[in-house]
Amino acid sequence: MENTNRKSVEIKKIRGVLPSSEALFSSTKSQARWYRIQEKIIENMLLLATIISSTAIFFIILFVAKEALSSLKHNGLAFFIAGGWDQHIQEAWFSETPKWDFGALPLILGTFLTTGGALLLTFVLGTGCAIFLAELAPDAIRRPVEAMVRLLAGIPSVIFGLIGLMVVVPFIMDNFISNELALKFIAVAPLDGQSLLAGVIVLTFMVLPFYVTVATDAIRAVPKPYKEASLALGVTQWRSVTKVLIPVAIPGIVTGMILASARAVGEAIALSMVSGGMAFIPDPSHGLVFFLEPVRVMASAIIDNKEAMSVKAIESALFGVGTILLFISILLSLTARLVFSWYQKQVMAK
Amino acid sequence: MINGQLIKRSRLVALGPVLCWLSAAIIVAVCAGLVLYPLIIGAKMVNLEFLLTDPIPSFNEALAGGILTPIAGTIIIILIATFVTVPIALGTAIYLSEYANRDSVITKSISLGVDVLAGVPSAVLAIFGLILFSLPQLAFLSSKVEGTELALGSSFLVGGLIMMLHIVSFVIKAMEESIRSVPENYRTAAYALGTTRWRVIRKAVLPAALPGVITGIILGIGLIAGDTAIITLCVGGSMTMTGAEQWWLPWNWLETLQGSGSTLTTFVYYSSPAGEGNAPNKAFGAAFILILIVLFLNLTVDYIMAKSKKVKAAA
Repeated sequence: MENTNRKSVEIKKIRGVLPSSEALFSSTKSQARWYRIQEKIIENMLLLATIISSTAIFFIILFVAKEALSSLKHNGLAFFIAGGWDQHIQEAWFSETPKWDFGALPLILGTFLTTGGALLLTFVLGTGCAIFLAELAPDAIRRPVEAMVRLLAGIPSVIFGLIGLMVVVPFIMDNFISNELALKFIAVAPLDGQSLLAGVIVLTFMVLPFYVTVATDAIRAVPKPYKEASLALGVTQWRSVTKVLIPVAIPGIVTGMILASARAVGEAIALSMVSGGMAFIPDPSHGLVFFLEPVRVMASAIIDNKEAMSVKAIESALFGVGTILLFISILLSLTARLVFSWYQKQVMAK
Repeated sequence: MINGQLIKRSRLVALGPVLCWLSAAIIVAVCAGLVLYPLIIGAKMVNLEFLLTDPIPSFNEALAGGILTPIAGTIIIILIATFVTVPIALGTAIYLSEYANRDSVITKSISLGVDVLAGVPSAVLAIFGLILFSLPQLAFLSSKVEGTELALGSSFLVGGLIMMLHIVSFVIKAMEESIRSVPENYRTAAYALGTTRWRVIRKAVLPAALPGVITGIILGIGLIAGDTAIITLCVGGSMTMTGAEQWWLPWNWLETLQGSGSTLTTFVYYSSPAGEGNAPNKAFGAAFILILIVLFLNLTVDYIMAKSKKVKAAA
């Protein structure tokens, strides 16, 4: 300990002395001065870059929230708990006098339903895959599977949307929605396969790779002696995984879930393509048809209603939706950081 | 009795690993399907004519033209965004890893700011861009809206700048990690030769961190090529270039960059049944090119990683 301390003090000393020692080796005084100036210029340029990249978030919050203010002020709490988004957009678009009434509840619920569903599936499939990669797979299989997971993370969201629309949506239409069913619900909502279910399926595979990567690392990072001790007690490998490795890896798994939910909440394009084009609140009293009803999420609403932004009231309402999204994403980032530092402390304690 | 329970339990336990294999198999199958399906269907569409004609807005798929301008648009956005991101990201990464005091409150809040930016959805960044770049003072980046003071707020330049915000924190993280992982004795050895701090970084640290730095940039390019939300809002919804008609001529370049256009992702979006074009085969043709780009970027990262591992092992 003392030794490393002394070393770092020495290094600091050397760094402080350097510009002049450079001068020692390389001739004139003017050159030494030039080096010193150069050092200052570069340090300030680096600082400038750092300031740009770290303060950008404040400007984003400022601009988006400022634009949203007039709509949020007018609607108050109703913006969060009142329905009728599509109707409000229509009214504001066609009316002669500016109409400021907006209720974003369908969008908020849409985001929570798709994200919640996707997280549930992600947890089941992703944890299985993470255990597989960290513990079960032989090397020859593990490497290609890991490469596939990485590739999945890099596929653009519009491709997920396209495949969802051309494969998943027709599949749901053909297998779960009969003509009678569609006719029965025609007054409620169009059942054409673009649905909550399609949204959840597509979203699951979009966020899975991010969860799998983090969860696999977390399981792998559990110190070897834990598993060895458990095996030495005669516990089977599978029970060592579920009873020892997973509980220790929980902070990492939670971080992975938070990252996945941050992705899911912000996804716009793929969901706008597969989850149906209307701000509808699926009705649980319809039984399983609940999953076949269309939803629209907050991020998609921004994309879908962009043409209507020329109307001031609609623009402000869309920025209100953007503000909600922004605050959810900030909250998730902060939570992920807290969980991560908790995790680090736990590792340090060992 | 106890025996029976044990057998039941062991049967149940045997199911666990099977389910793990199954979930991995599902993920692999979905990934393969997502890559192969557009490749197989798109391959029928892709020929030289498709690649070299402009898109033509039309409800008849046969007349809808090709994807020349979307390909050009993707390249333009990648170039602009990389050009503005690299200096800022590299500067921040060097500052955070070499200059800043890791435990100070300021450094912590800087890295918090960068972290939070990483989580902001691209749709939110896009509307931020719309409002920021419609300020009249920034009209030189897009064009004036006729009859008002405001700027249009959507052009290739605007899209590229907003794309910078979308990717910068990921690139910073990758670069910072690789700079930090350069062994301390590289630095002490260079200092011992009696040179300045910046020269130590430039001549000793950065060359050693280069593979990680390049990987970070490639990750950023992948994010740029794959984003749709920022392009639809900040570059605009037009399929062809709205700048000059002969956009490829060098003296028209500035006008092209101030105008709007499309990229491969927005082309796929508009041509899919969800968009206005409803030309799914054209969409798959563009998806084919998009997937090739993603595959190429992935393989490049793998190649760089494998090579730098070898170098490290040899050293």
